[in-house]
Amino acid sequence: MIIKQIPAFLISLAIATFLLVTHTTATNLIWLHSINMPVDFNLVLSTMATDLIGMNSRGAFPAVALISIGLLLAFITARFISTRTAIKKTTLYAMAGGTALFAIVALMPLAFYNLDLIAGARTITGRVYLVLAGALAGYYFGNHLQKGDSNALN
Amino acid sequence: MRLINLRGVCLSLLVCSGMALGNNDDFEIEILAEGLDHPWGITFISPSEMLVTELSGNLRRVSNGRLNPEPVAGVPTVLFAGQAGLSEVISDPSFADNNLIYLSFSAPDKDQPKLNQLYVIQARLEGNELVDQKTIFRSDPPRKTAAHYGARLAFLADGTLLITSGDGFNYREQAQALDNHFGKILRINSDGSIPKDNPFIGRPNALPEIWSYGHRNPQGLVIADDGTVYAHEHGPQGGDELNLVLPGKNYGWPAITYGVDYSGAVISPFTEQPGMEQPLKYWDPSIAPSGMSLYRGEMFPQWQGNLFISALVPGDIRRIEMQDKRAINEQILFTEFGRIRDIAAAPDGSLILATDGAKGKLIRVSAKK
Repeated sequence: MIIKQIPAFLISLAIATFLLVTHTTATNLIWLHSINMPVDFNLVLSTMATDLIGMNSRGAFPAVALISIGLLLAFITARFISTRTAIKKTTLYAMAGGTALFAIVALMPLAFYNLDLIAGARTITGRVYLVLAGALAGYYFGNHLQKGDSNALN
Repeated sequence: MRLINLRGVCLSLLVCSGMALGNNDDFEIEILAEGLDHPWGITFISPSEMLVTELSGNLRRVSNGRLNPEPVAGVPTVLFAGQAGLSEVISDPSFADNNLIYLSFSAPDKDQPKLNQLYVIQARLEGNELVDQKTIFRSDPPRKTAAHYGARLAFLADGTLLITSGDGFNYREQAQALDNHFGKILRINSDGSIPKDNPFIGRPNALPEIWSYGHRNPQGLVIADDGTVYAHEHGPQGGDELNLVLPGKNYGWPAITYGVDYSGAVISPFTEQPGMEQPLKYWDPSIAPSGMSLYRGEMFPQWQGNLFISALVPGDIRRIEMQDKRAINEQILFTEFGRIRDIAAAPDGSLILATDGAKGKLIRVSAKK
């Protein structure tokens, strides 16, 4: 049963990781563009690709590992709640995914003297975006579970 | 025969360039003090006496190689957290006459205590006490982070004071704006007033005390005898820099950099841009430069004019040979002490190293007799 959910979890993880990384890329490049640095479309694509590799390999903490821990804990909690309530799975897992990303961006600074190590999380708008990214990842996972439930009923 | 000559020339060059010194058998190592709580800055106030700051908030006195057990009284209360605390100490160019010293430190903002600022004060050292304290600089705006203060001080030959002010980590983009103190080197008079010939005087939306900008976390600052200003900055991963700093210039951070973010993200895909200065040297991988001294002593004559940079990672001293204001050679020294927070050249020509951490040491390196 759990093994059947792994591909959906990995896709959910990929969604959150992709959105977090590309948001960081966009945040940095938009600022560079605002001070008249020569940012063009090719540079956007190449920087995005570099960040997708870099933020998952050369940083102090691989983004994908951090998010996977967050989502895993959140989804396990959501599953526990779902057995005791009638909340729609898409809603519940979307909330769980959002909470996971919120915890990452809110708790990390507490551990590092208020330093926001993820550049995209330095503004309230950025944090809201990342919470929504987590919610989208959770929604995908919840939707997958819900479909599974429907298929089981059929 | 030709080969022998070539070897001779190479050996001579090596000796002349000072590379012959480097083996620890060449030096006498003496521990002057142990158990210092995060020593950060060192300054000599006489040939036999130095002051040492502890980041936790104490100013210590070492006389004739012995640590005074009583810290200097009257030091302001500092914010000690992360990289925040009592940072730099330097003496006035006329210290022998006026007993004035200058301290940089971080402390909570008076109106918003959750935020903090970098302060620089002037005070008179009377006996073992600081009196007549006067705040001559306070960074603006306040920050919520306890990191990247810069906080190094140095006097130019004209008696004006340079202050390095870091980007506060979360505020790195502000290093490119001239309406704040993040990521700047500032120049003020010793009483806190603004020199009339500062480069941005009269420019709209620019703070008049700014001397150069586009810095990250400059923790090394020295003035050469010809007035050349060298600063190094603690960069991101792979972006530590040694810069020759000129008034009014933009050193690029974070629009151009050789490093990447701690998260692994690209900070900027650019390493150069017209109107932004290139470093004399950069380090990849990072060495975490923490302090710097220009050697003028007689004890190691072959090192005169060299820059000595203390490094936290992996922990050593970098001797940088300078020629025509260019860094032409680098030698790694003293790898056995771990993270080194600061380095100073003593009046007798020996080198004083301060190791990092809660049990910091002061180490004197002299020539073997």
